[in-house]
Amino acid sequence: MTTHPELETVDMMLNMGPQHPSTHGVFRMVLWIDGERIVDMEPHIGYLHRGSEKLCEGERYGQVVTLFDRLDYVSNFNNEQVFCRAVERLMDIEVPERAMYIRTILCELNRVASHLLFLGTYALDAGAMTPVLYAFRERERIQNLYEAVSGARMMHNFIRIGGIKEEVPADFVPRVRQLLGELRRGVEECDNLLTFNEVFLARTRGVGVIDADTAVSYGLTGPCLRASGLAYDVRKDHPYEIYPNVSFTVPVGEYGDCWDRYWVRVQEAYQSLNIVEQCLDQMTEGPIMPQMRRIARPPKGEVYVHGENPRGDIGVYLVSDGTDKPYRLKVRPPSYCNLTALRHMMKDAFIADAVVILGSLDIVLGEVDR
Amino acid sequence: MALDNNPQDAPLFVPGSWDRPKAGKFIDAPEQGGTSTGRGNRPAANLLQRGVPGVITGKLDELAALARKNSLWTLTFGLACCAIEMMSTHMSHHDLDRFGIVTWPSPRQSDVMIVAGTVVKKMADPIRLLYEQMPDPKWVIAMGSCATNGGPYYRSYSVVMGVDHIIPVDVYVPGCPPRPEALMDGLIKLQEKIQRDAKEGPNAEPPIIAQAEVPQEDLVEPDSTDNAGEDDGTGQAS
Amino acid sequence: MTEQDKPVSEPEESAPEGATDETAQAEAPASVRPARRAPPHEEEAPPEVLNPRGQTTLGLLMQVADPYVIAHGGRDDIPWIETRAQRLTEVARRCRDHRDLDLKMLHCLLVVDYIEHLQAVYVLLSPVKGTRAILKVNVPADEPKVPSLTGLWAATDWYEREMHELFGMEFEGHPNLSPLILYEGFEGYPGLKSFPFNDYEEF
Repeated sequence: MTTHPELETVDMMLNMGPQHPSTHGVFRMVLWIDGERIVDMEPHIGYLHRGSEKLCEGERYGQVVTLFDRLDYVSNFNNEQVFCRAVERLMDIEVPERAMYIRTILCELNRVASHLLFLGTYALDAGAMTPVLYAFRERERIQNLYEAVSGARMMHNFIRIGGIKEEVPADFVPRVRQLLGELRRGVEECDNLLTFNEVFLARTRGVGVIDADTAVSYGLTGPCLRASGLAYDVRKDHPYEIYPNVSFTVPVGEYGDCWDRYWVRVQEAYQSLNIVEQCLDQMTEGPIMPQMRRIARPPKGEVYVHGENPRGDIGVYLVSDGTDKPYRLKVRPPSYCNLTALRHMMKDAFIADAVVILGSLDIVLGEVDR
Repeated sequence: MALDNNPQDAPLFVPGSWDRPKAGKFIDAPEQGGTSTGRGNRPAANLLQRGVPGVITGKLDELAALARKNSLWTLTFGLACCAIEMMSTHMSHHDLDRFGIVTWPSPRQSDVMIVAGTVVKKMADPIRLLYEQMPDPKWVIAMGSCATNGGPYYRSYSVVMGVDHIIPVDVYVPGCPPRPEALMDGLIKLQEKIQRDAKEGPNAEPPIIAQAEVPQEDLVEPDSTDNAGEDDGTGQAS
Repeated sequence: MTEQDKPVSEPEESAPEGATDETAQAEAPASVRPARRAPPHEEEAPPEVLNPRGQTTLGLLMQVADPYVIAHGGRDDIPWIETRAQRLTEVARRCRDHRDLDLKMLHCLLVVDYIEHLQAVYVLLSPVKGTRAILKVNVPADEPKVPSLTGLWAATDWYEREMHELFGMEFEGHPNLSPLILYEGFEGYPGLKSFPFNDYEEF
């Protein structure tokens, strides 16, 4: 604009994190801003790199489940499930049907819990204090159920290779049914509080837009991809366990902006509750573990298994050398890929929207850094 | 619970309420000679009741500690899995506000740092910086196994074996992750420590391991070579 | 066999795309707003060649990567082919742009250390057609070099940086292979089998 070299403006560098309340953990980003506009940004990760993949090579297959719990620590059951499926695929184990139903019930409730956490913290990011209190109230109900089932609120270690650890409590079915009713009301309450709030719409509509082709190229999966208009859901496209037996809708967004990502997650929470209800209706008595050796020794070979996490498509590439420990185990973390698109979304956004865009990706740093 | 003038009128411990007594220690019914030992908030209540109304006796340090321990501001600092439980503790169900504990996003106005999660080597410098940015007096709670000693990741190439390699720690809360009740217990232990330090001088005690559920006799005694003779037998330290 | 094979008579076998979505759309509860844009599954004609068993996907892969295939195989519906590092870019580009394979997403990139050689594994996926495939490249352990695929998939960027950091794999042509997740001054490549587990250490 100006012709005087001494009057040229210089982009300002702004550091955010690793300790910042809105980075959902220890994520750091460096923003270059010109006035209110973000010119460029550079994400820095690795502040929670614990070397899980390397550690998995030193643990037995049964023990690896505990490390998977701690990868994406908001959706523990989903992580356990995908690892156990990988080992089962490698060993050709047939999982008893009842175990699969219980797994699905727990996983789908975990999806609701995860989306509730997202809803609450995202509202905080956008400047609304109230919904997080409601969301955590509902989350606490789910965690109480988990505690009754597995004995732990978060790190369950409940899904085992071949089935599940133990039979669920006698009052499991009525208890889940009661929980479903409470959760429906609870999610609806949170939904009503926030979804069509005018300020919230103004903060999130048209912000952080990403179109479907770019999203696919960046490897976005889960709600982030579906918000861009592509109905890719592993549960539908490559159904596993008992997902062919239940009917549910895959919510799809249109514009791929922050509000669409939020909306897709909220609708998914309702769908998960529907899935749980169908599972309760279809569930029958039966064994929960097949006849198998206590220590899993898969045959030589490798396998790739992926499944739908609340955050997206989690994949496990497992190489076995015939011993009781994995030779190589690689996790394809959905948050990691979703985070790569952050730079694309943030270009030319307002500085005030940076937190809103980051929050809409719903990253979990334990999974990004592993 | 209100501050009762007459301790005899105060409500007795009710079985099944939040604090479960050890077997044989409390007697429930007053006609059996029940006592009021199961209730909370006794030291503070006594301190105010004993003196002449309007006059509080005691050292200035203890008075300051009384104020400090009842308005602990914790640094919002979630590292890993434990952060979710820390958030649960702050949220509606467990509600840390009733202890005067609120979260604060800046280290400059915080009193307590709850190190909630695995400390990796890349994060060690920022943690140290945050600790140095906090004003004195300051306290640190190591929440969870990872912050205590590396936890499940002790064999990893990038994990610090406990946050006490970087900064001094006052209270260790074990668990992976600790339940919200355990974190609350840790914070209450920290409050007790603040009050005790004001009375007896700092560093009279080794760091506290907060764990409500484990009976005293099951806890492992610490290595007593460092502070032999300083143990006053209060039973808090172990 | 496993869960993939169980619902043999279910719609998965006959029509992997479309059919399940349509039934689900019809049963959508009233609280759910219908999708504002029809999912791409329903817009397009069902793919002629692909089924979830893998033979035809493998056949297509073989056809696409014809002269450069060293080995091939597959488990369930995810076939893999092995190719040479020099031809990787060409094969990957053909896989991405092929009309029926349509592998538009790099799902995962990893490196396996087989002591005598390193293996780079590219897991590719099509979110529209549902195809999945794996490309493998073996490189000698003393000179691990593969061409960078940053021009093909944007997701490659971080994956390659991470694999360079953990395994010492060189990705030729990557614009910026700076460290991503390890701290400054880290020595060695922790992903390799030769890197030991830690014992207790003071920091």
